[in-house]
Formats: sequence, structure tokens, C-alpha cells
Amino acid sequence: MAFSALARAALLSTVMALPLHAEEPVNLVISNSQWLDALRGEGLWNAVKAYEATAPGVTLESLGIPSKDYGDRLMTEFGAGKGPDIAIMQEGVFFALADAGLLVDVGAAVEGVSLNATKDNGIIDGVTLGVPWQRAAYALIYNADLVGAAGVAVPTTVPELIASAQGVQDKTGAIGFTSRHQISDFSGFYMDFQSWAYGHGVSWVDAEGKLTINTPEAAAAIAAFKQVYDAKIIPVGDDMPTQRTRFKEKQVGFSIDNSGGTLNIASGGAMESSRMKSAAMPFPHPGAHQQIYVAVNANSEHPEEAIAFLKWLVTPEAQAALRKASGPDALATDVPLDADFVAKNPWAPVFAELAQQSHSVLIPGYEVETTQIMRPVMEAVEEVLVTGITPEEALAKAQDKVDQMF
Amino acid sequence: MPYAFMMLPVIYLAIFMFWPLGRQIWLSFTRTRLANPNRSEFIGLRNYERLFDNPDFYTALYVTVTYSLLAVLIGVAVGTVAALAMNRPFPGRTLVRAILLFGWAVPNVAAALIWLWIFNERSGVLNSIVTGLGLERITWLTSTDMALSSILLVTVWQVAPFVMLVMLAALQSVPQEVKEAARVDGADALNIFRAVTLPHVMPTLQLVSLLVAVWSIRRFDIIYLLTGGGPIGSTSTLIVKLRQVAFENHDLGLASAYGVIGLILALSVAAVHAAFNHHRQKGQS
Repeated sequence: MAFSALARAALLSTVMALPLHAEEPVNLVISNSQWLDALRGEGLWNAVKAYEATAPGVTLESLGIPSKDYGDRLMTEFGAGKGPDIAIMQEGVFFALADAGLLVDVGAAVEGVSLNATKDNGIIDGVTLGVPWQRAAYALIYNADLVGAAGVAVPTTVPELIASAQGVQDKTGAIGFTSRHQISDFSGFYMDFQSWAYGHGVSWVDAEGKLTINTPEAAAAIAAFKQVYDAKIIPVGDDMPTQRTRFKEKQVGFSIDNSGGTLNIASGGAMESSRMKSAAMPFPHPGAHQQIYVAVNANSEHPEEAIAFLKWLVTPEAQAALRKASGPDALATDVPLDADFVAKNPWAPVFAELAQQSHSVLIPGYEVETTQIMRPVMEAVEEVLVTGITPEEALAKAQDKVDQMF
Repeated sequence: MPYAFMMLPVIYLAIFMFWPLGRQIWLSFTRTRLANPNRSEFIGLRNYERLFDNPDFYTALYVTVTYSLLAVLIGVAVGTVAALAMNRPFPGRTLVRAILLFGWAVPNVAAALIWLWIFNERSGVLNSIVTGLGLERITWLTSTDMALSSILLVTVWQVAPFVMLVMLAALQSVPQEVKEAARVDGADALNIFRAVTLPHVMPTLQLVSLLVAVWSIRRFDIIYLLTGGGPIGSTSTLIVKLRQVAFENHDLGLASAYGVIGLILALSVAAVHAAFNHHRQKGQS
């Protein structure tokens, strides 16, 4: 009794000693694999860190996780009731976390803000769970000096790509073409391959929402990729970071890459960014894009502060700062490319243009299951590349596996 | 008093081994999503039915058994031969021994990166040698014919030094007077090895084989980093499949079932080792 009275008195005196409107300092942890990017990571973080000047008492803390482990780690931490307050993530992870009910409704952050089409997949069942961060479309990129020295044309079809890449190889000794081609890099491989698939008119679902894996369009896409693989213009066995480094060092003629990867290639290598050019991919239809969203963890102890941060993120000032660090990636709002940036990076506008028509790497209606569905598809691609069975045979097996799943 | 001393390891094992193991076995009987691990639904043997209905499981089981068996046979053989060589005095023996231990000392991720470079089809050391000999480049990691052999080569490179170290210690503990007595009786080197050395080091050889077998069954990092289980599942072991099911399909229940099968496989190897031991001890008594 005496103790509780003493405790009450102590508590009361402590409360009385506090200032009237004391604001607890808040620490918001923001995770992103891009924080670890050697060249743009710091720029992106500085763009975000500018928020602290507008929000006294809020400190932002970066949590960089390697991209290879990013999705796994986020899923595990969020599932265990932990994780960062705010996470910047690829669409696939975003949908999986949304499906598990682990994200906060952030509609308040974008109320009255005119966002572009990048917002669409961030709204699930009418609830805004993600704010667009960046959209990285795919394009054909090439080393203008090597292409000029070889005297080859910029290709508009797959046979032309093979011919031009072989021309570069024969006349300059450089690698003709780079592309992901190994299942050991499954996540990147399937996302990159979606450009080949969509480019050949593939839709992995029909009008009824049934999964259609074994289609003539998919067979054509795999056959085209197989032609390129068999032409001995790809450095078979090289992972993507190695291939990008080779491009940086002026050892590659052509590549198909997304704008994030291209910005990486254009920065800090022997090749000047102004000597890299880009064009539409050599396919009849538009390709794919990788969409990244910013979301708030339902386990966060500071959801209001996190939403306030997102509200700031879509302001013109924040978007302009983000544009400087994002290269040609499409952002949440239509911030035009900086004229100086375009002058130094002539390859950039094509990406911005292609992002208007590109499709998400995720399968509509099966966003959460896309990775699971694409595993047998990519195994079919691999089987065609390695064993030489026909795309139709390989896709029939993939269709069976997918049918067993769903 | 002895029980008090035993409590600490018992508590440690209970918290860090038996509880997670029990939880994994329990999860294998449930439908559990990765993002909601605490919201499980008991489904009995359904995950095991799915497992046994899936041809990929049998491929993974076959790859695991083949890989583990070959890793034990080749790794232990190479390590033992190296130990026999190191057991003889020669100039620079200490330096050679240190060099031979390199593979075991290097962390797995670093080893994977080193070997990725060695196996590189365009600029790798191995293909430089191959093309230097006038032969066609070999697709070490991207062909179904070579991928498992390449993984085995890396495994042996890592395992053999450990086997060598353990076997060398065993060889050096063979009583010299027994060998001398055999030599006086007219036995040649081969007979001395067969009748004196081998029986003495046999328990060590069995133990090291057991360790290599269990490590191989649960080996993940080297395979995942070098091939990711490909091409076409030719290096996809149970543990690689487990990761795929857990993190790509977000299916913790089915992934746990893969884990339980792996556990049964490892326990079977341990049981065979225990049976051998029991048989040997009975023969001695």
C-alpha cells in the first residue's frame, strides 16, 4: 500500500516534470536493396534523408539488404511480427505481404495527389497498400562505338539482333549480346524473360483467368531465345553482374536490360554514358517492367509517422530529388527527365517512353503465385536451351505442373 | 552432481535443437504460409501425399543420395590418400599440409565465388587449360552432364582436407612397435597397412565418413550459389528444393516435409554407422 502510494507520487512527479507537448523522438527504419548499390544507393538515400529537415523529431535509418536475399528476409521478418517500419520492395514481395495482411492502408498519404499509372498495382481490393517508388522498364541497349566499328545496324527483330551481335563479335572481338540465361539466377531470369514473352504476345492467363502456359506465343518466345543462345553470342556461364561489368568495360555490343541495370552500367565504368544508346526491344509487342513499391509494415510501432513520410515522398520536392537519383525510372508522379541528365545519358528517354506501354512482370490475378508459376516455365526454357527439346514439348510439361498447382 | 552438470547441455539442446526440430515436424503436418507462420492449419499427411505425388521430389531424393554417396566415397578416398602421403616425412611437409588445408579453411560463400570464376566458360581457368589442349570448351555448370560433377569437385576440394587432417591424426596414433614387429615378421608395406594400420584407423574412417555423409545431405550454400539446383534439376537436392518451396511458393508446411525427409535420410546414415559399430564391437568381444 505504502509502496503503491510512493510509486504513484513518483510517477506523478515525473509526468509533471515533462514539457506540455513533448514529442517523443521517432526512428523510422527503411529497408531497400538499392541502398547497397555502389553508385546510386547513396544518392537515393540522400533524397529520402531530406525528409528529416521537414519532420523534426523523426530520424530515418537505412537498412540495406542484398537484393538476392531481400524478398526472403522481408517475408520472414514480417511474418515473425518484426521487420522495418517502411519497406521498399519489388511488386512480387509487395503482393505476398499484402495477401498476408501485413501491410498498412496508406491511402491517407496519397489523398488529393495526382499519381500516374504506376500506382495501379499498389491498390489492392480498393485499398492503397503501396506508393510507387520506381518503375524500371526494359529496352535494348548498345555500345555505339562497337556497333559503329562493326558497321552493323540497330536490330528491330531477333534475326537482326543475332546478325548484328555476330557482326560485333566478328569485327571487334567483343561479346555480341548479354542476357541472363541461368536458373541459378531464377528471380532475375524470370523477370527478364517476361520481356521476351510479352514481346511475342504472350498472356499467361486467358480471358477467364485460366493459366495458359503452353501457347504458340510462348513457344515462339522460347524459340527466339533459343536461337540467340545457340548463336554463341551470349557469354554462357556469366552471371548478370559480370555481364554488366563487361558492358561497362566496353566489351559488349548489345544487351536487353532494365533501366536500373542500365544506369548501373552507365555509371563508373570505362565506357562513357554518352556512348551508350538504346532502342525498343526487337520484338513485335511491348515488353515488361519491374515495379517497386513503398509500403508500411503492419508491425510498425509508428504507422502514422511512416504514412506522414509517404505523404512527403509524393510531394513535388521529394519527387524531384528522387528523379535526380533514379535515372530514367518512372516515378509515382510524372517528373520529366532532367535536360542535363538526358544530354549526358542519351539512352534514358527511350526507357521513359517504353515504361508507358510495358506490362508488370507479375501475372494478372496470380500476383502472389507468379514466382511459383514461373518456376516450371523457366525450367522449360532451360530444358529447351540445354537439351534441345522443342518449346512445345517443354511447355506441355510446364502446363501440366502448373495445372497440378492450381 | 553429475545431473547438475548435464542440465546445461540438455537445456541448450532442448532450446536450440529439439524445439526447432519438433516445430519443423509439426509444421510438416500443417498448411502454413511463410508470411503467416503462426496461423497454421492441421492437415495430417496431406503435405507428404503432395510430396510423394510430385516427380520433382524423387529427382531431388535421387540427386541427394547420389551426391552424398559420391562425396563420401571420393572425398574420404582423396583425403585418406593425402593423409597417407602426409604421414611420410619429406622436406616442406608442413608447408604442403598448410596448402592442402586451404579448401577446408575457406568460407563456403568465398569458395563458391572462387569456383564460379574457375568454372567460367569464357574466361575460367579450367577452360583456358581445356582450350589450350586443343579441346572444346566445357560447360561446367550449365550442362546436365557436367553440373553435378562440378559440384562434386568443389565438395571434394572442401571435404578432403578435413578428412586428411582427421585421418592423419589417426595414422600418427598407430603404435610404431606393432608395425616394427610386423616388419620383423617379414610383412611388406601393403600387408602392414592391411593388418595393422587399417584396423587401427577404421573407427576414425567410419566416423569421418558419417560426418561427410550428413554434411553432404544438408549441404546448401555451394549448390545454391553455383547452380541454384539447375540445370533442369540436375543438382537440385532436398535442401535446395526445401528453400524453393519455402521462399518461392511461400509454403512452409510442404518445405518442412522436405526437411523431415532429409532428416530421416541423415538419421538412416547415422543408424547404419551405429549398426557397423555395434557389429565391430561384438566381433572384438
